[in-house]
Parts: sequence; C-alpha cells; structure tokens
Amino acid sequence: MTFFKRFLVLFICGAVQVFFATYLLLELLGFGLAWHLMNHDMMFIPGILVFLGSGYLTFSYYFLSDKRANNALYDEFNALRYYKLATAGYVINGIGIFVLYSMQDWSNWSFELANNMIYQIAAFAWLIFGALLVWFALGDLRESRNG
Amino acid sequence: MGKSHEKLSNNLEEIRKAAGLTQLELSESAEVSRKSINAIENGIYVPSTVLALKIAKTLKCTVEELFKLR
Repeated sequence: MTFFKRFLVLFICGAVQVFFATYLLLELLGFGLAWHLMNHDMMFIPGILVFLGSGYLTFSYYFLSDKRANNALYDEFNALRYYKLATAGYVINGIGIFVLYSMQDWSNWSFELANNMIYQIAAFAWLIFGALLVWFALGDLRESRNG
Repeated sequence: MGKSHEKLSNNLEEIRKAAGLTQLELSESAEVSRKSINAIENGIYVPSTVLALKIAKTLKCTVEELFKLR
C-alpha cells in the first residue's frame, strides 16, 4: 500500500458518495434533476464501495504492506488529519441539521414530512461524509507527490 | 531555533542536518511518515512523547535539546 493507492481507494469511495448523496438531497429538497436513476438498486453502490474499500485497506494493512509502509501511512500525524476532518464533520452536520430543521413546513406537519426530513438529514450527513473522504484522499495525493 | 508552535520552539531541522540525515531517513528511523517530520520541523505539529523520544534517540540527543518552551 502506498499513499497514492490509498488516495485512489478513498477518492473513488468519496466521489461516488458525493454524487449519490447530492442527487438524493436535491430530490428530497424538491430540486430534482431532469434525469432520474432508473434502477434504485444503484443506491447501494456507494455502500458496497465503502465496504470493499475498507476491506481492502484492512487486508493490505495486515497482509500486503510491510511495517515501514504502515508506519508512514498510519502514523500520528495522519491520525490528527483524520481527527480534524471528523471534528469538521460533526460541526458541519450539526449546522446542517439545524438548517434542515428550520426549513421544514411546521404549519402542515405530517408523518410524510417528518419522514422526508429524516431522509434529508441522512442524505446531508452522507454528503458531508463523502466530501470529507475526498478531502482526506487529496491529502494522501499531496503526500504521494511530495514524498 | 526553528519555527515554533505557539510557545514551543524546536531545533529539529538543525540537529537533523547536523546528523547528516534527510527527513525521509529520520522518518523511517522514527517509524512515521516524512510528512510528520516536515510538520514538526515547521511547527505545524507537536509530536507525542513517544515520537519525540524516538526522534531524540535516532538523533542521539535529548528531547530538551530538540524542543524548548519559550
């Protein structure tokens, strides 16, 4: 495993998540695009990619990489990068939930609207998770170029 | 004295160069990424106690010689 390979894995997972989450969020907020996913089973693709990607990273840590590569890929500075992004994720999601909550039509509140709001919050959190994954991956790309 | 992180100054770059090591060589000895060494030298990152001790051991100096509180 190298920084560039990890960049590829994380970037693909993150970019696909951003795409699907943005699509879903726009649909739920009533800004639907002119085209639609015909097969909704495609919504499983980001989840499958994350499952495969994390599996590959775990497998490579224990069986494909040597100690030297793992030391560089998973050192405390990289952990700090991860913690910072996770903190940013909590903050952005918190603000996002507040905004989504404020946007609802409370005068005509119904179970359908409540259900829709929960989906909106989930799609927003999904979008932020994907965006932060892309951001983390770009850090790996920079390191692969500079290293 | 190298660049500092708030009240912490470090001599890592000078001591590393005096030891004739590159950032990559030092990072391999200290079991971290080259980016970590670079970030420490530039005062962007303050290392853990374990990492500071590993760096000091590699450079055959004390942690106090590497890092100082202003």
